[in-house]
Amino acid sequence: MISIRDVSKTYKNGTHALYNINLEIQDREFVYIVGSTGSGKSTLIKILNGEEIPTSGEVMVNGTNVGKLRFGKVPLYRRGIGVVFQDYRLLPRRTVFENVAYALEVVDAKKKDIRVRVREVLKLVDLEDKATSFPDELSGGQQQRVAIARAIANKPKILIADEPTGNLDPKKSDEIIQLLEKINKEEETTILIVTHDTQIVRHHPKRMVMIESGHIVADLNKGAKI
Amino acid sequence: MFRRFFRHIKEGFFGVFRHLGMALSSASAVMITLILIGLFLIVTLNLYDMTKTIEDSISISVLIEKGDEDSHETIEEQILKIDGVKSVTYRTPEEEFDYYLETQGSDELRTFYEEYRDDNPFRGNILVEVESGSQMAYVKEEIMKIANVDEVADGGANTYTLLDMLDSIRLFGGILVAALCLLAIYLVYNTIKITIASRADEIWIMRNVGAKNGYVRAPFLVEGIIIGFLGAIIPMILAVVVYYYIYGEMNGSLFGAFYLIEPMPFALYIAGILGLTGIVVGFIGSYVSVCKYLRLKR
Ligand SMILES: Nc1ncnc2c1ncn2[C@@H]1O[C@H](COP(=O)(O)OP(=O)(O)O)[C@@H](O)[C@H]1O
Ligand SMILES: [Mg+2]
Repeated sequence: MISIRDVSKTYKNGTHALYNINLEIQDREFVYIVGSTGSGKSTLIKILNGEEIPTSGEVMVNGTNVGKLRFGKVPLYRRGIGVVFQDYRLLPRRTVFENVAYALEVVDAKKKDIRVRVREVLKLVDLEDKATSFPDELSGGQQQRVAIARAIANKPKILIADEPTGNLDPKKSDEIIQLLEKINKEEETTILIVTHDTQIVRHHPKRMVMIESGHIVADLNKGAKI
Repeated sequence: MFRRFFRHIKEGFFGVFRHLGMALSSASAVMITLILIGLFLIVTLNLYDMTKTIEDSISISVLIEKGDEDSHETIEEQILKIDGVKSVTYRTPEEEFDYYLETQGSDELRTFYEEYRDDNPFRGNILVEVESGSQMAYVKEEIMKIANVDEVADGGANTYTLLDMLDSIRLFGGILVAALCLLAIYLVYNTIKITIASRADEIWIMRNVGAKNGYVRAPFLVEGIIIGFLGAIIPMILAVVVYYYIYGEMNGSLFGAFYLIEPMPFALYIAGILGLTGIVVGFIGSYVSVCKYLRLKR
C-alpha cells in the first residue's frame, strides 16, 4: 500500500513542485496520474522511488517510510518498485534477453533462475521471438515492452510508468496500456501510470488522480478495480 | 558470487581500455609520484640508518679524570644546570670498556682486548644530550669550567647539521610526496569521473533495478586500482634494480664511512610499499569520484 500524507516538495533552487499532497493507493490498484507538463507528476514519482526526499510530510510504501530511508537502504527498497520511462533506457549493446537479465544479474539472482524468469517475462510482454535482437532492431513499442519486462523481472509489488506512451502512436500506446493491465491482473502488481495522454485514459478508464501546479485537484473512480 | 566478482574485475579492465589515454595519463602521474616517493624513502631510510650508527657521537662526552669517578654525581648535577642540556647518562670505566669491546668487529680482537680489562684505560664518561646543535659549543664551554672534568669531546656540530638536514629532507620530502599523492589521486578521480559519465545510463538502470551501492561502485573501484597499480609497476622495478645497482657501485657504503642498507630485503620492501601506495591512491581517487556521483543522486 502507498500512503502519501501532507507531502510538499521544494527543490533546492526554490521551485515548489508539490503542495500538501494526500494520496492512498491500495495493493493491486491501477491508477493514472494526470496533469500538464510541470505540474509535479515526475516529482511525485521520484519521491515514491526514493530518488527525491519530500521537504515535509510522510510517504509510506509497503511499510517503509521512504522519506526517512538511509542512503544505503535505498537499493533494497527499489527492488520492490519497477520503473518505466518514456525513453525506454535500454542498454544498446545488449540483446533483449540480456537487457532483461541485467535486472536480475545486479541483484545476484542465480543463472538458472535468471533464464527461467527472463523467458517468463518475455512471454508476458509477447517478445519471446525477439530475445536475441538488439534494441535498435525493435520498434518503439517493442522497446518499451522490453523496458517493462525488465522492470517487472524482479517481481516488484509496484510498477511505475512515467509517460510510457509519450513516444508512441495511439495504436502502440493502446498495446502498452493493455500490457500493463495484464501485468496488473496476472502479476498482481500495483500500476501507476503518469501521463498527459487523455486518449489512453479514455480508452482504458481507471482511477485517475489529477495534479495541477503541485496540487491534487481531483481523484476519480477511487477504489475501482478494472 | 564468484561470477559477480569476476564481472566487476572484467568491467574494471574494460573501463581502463575504454578510456585508455586518460587511464595511461593518470597512471603516469601515479608513476612519477611513486618514483619520487621511492627515492625519498630510499634516501631518508638510509640516512636514518646512518644516524643510528653515529648516535653516540651526537652527544658530548665528558670524561672524568682517573680516580675521580666518585665525583660523577656532583658533576652531573652541575651539567644539568646548564641551559640547553637535555639529559645526562653516566657510564663507568668498566661499562666503557664493555661498550668498546662490543663495537669491535671480530671475536679475535675482543679476546685480545679482554686481557687488558684489569688495566682498564677508559675513563668514566658522562654522555650529555643537548637540545639542539646550536647550543653545542656553549654547553661544551660551560662543562669545561667544572672541576674534575678531564676532557670534553663531542661528535662535532656536523652530526647535528646532518640531523637537522635529515629533518628538513623529511619535512620537505613529506610535503612534496603528500602534494604529489593528492595530485595523483585527483587525476585518477577525474579519469573515473569520465568513465562514470560515459556509463551514466547503465548506472541509472542498475540503480533503478535495485543494485546495491557497492555493486554499482565495484567496477569503478577496480578500474581505479588497476590504474594505480599500472602506475606502480615501473617504480617498483626501478626501486629494486636501481638500488641494487647503486649498492653495488658504491660497495655498500657512502664515503667509505657509512653503510648503506643491504638491498635484500630492503629494496623489496620499498617496492612493496610503492605497489601498495599505487593501489591506495587509485582506490581513493576512484572511491571519492564514484561516491560523490552516487550521493549526488539517490
Ligand atoms: N531537479 C529539479 N530541480 C529543480 N526544479 C525541478 C527539478 N525537477 C523538476 N523541477 C521543477 O518542478 C516542477 C515539477 O516538475 P515535474 O515533477 O518534472 O513535472 P511533470 O513531471 O508533471 O512535468 C517544474 O516546475 C520543474 O521545473
Ligand atoms: Mg514528467
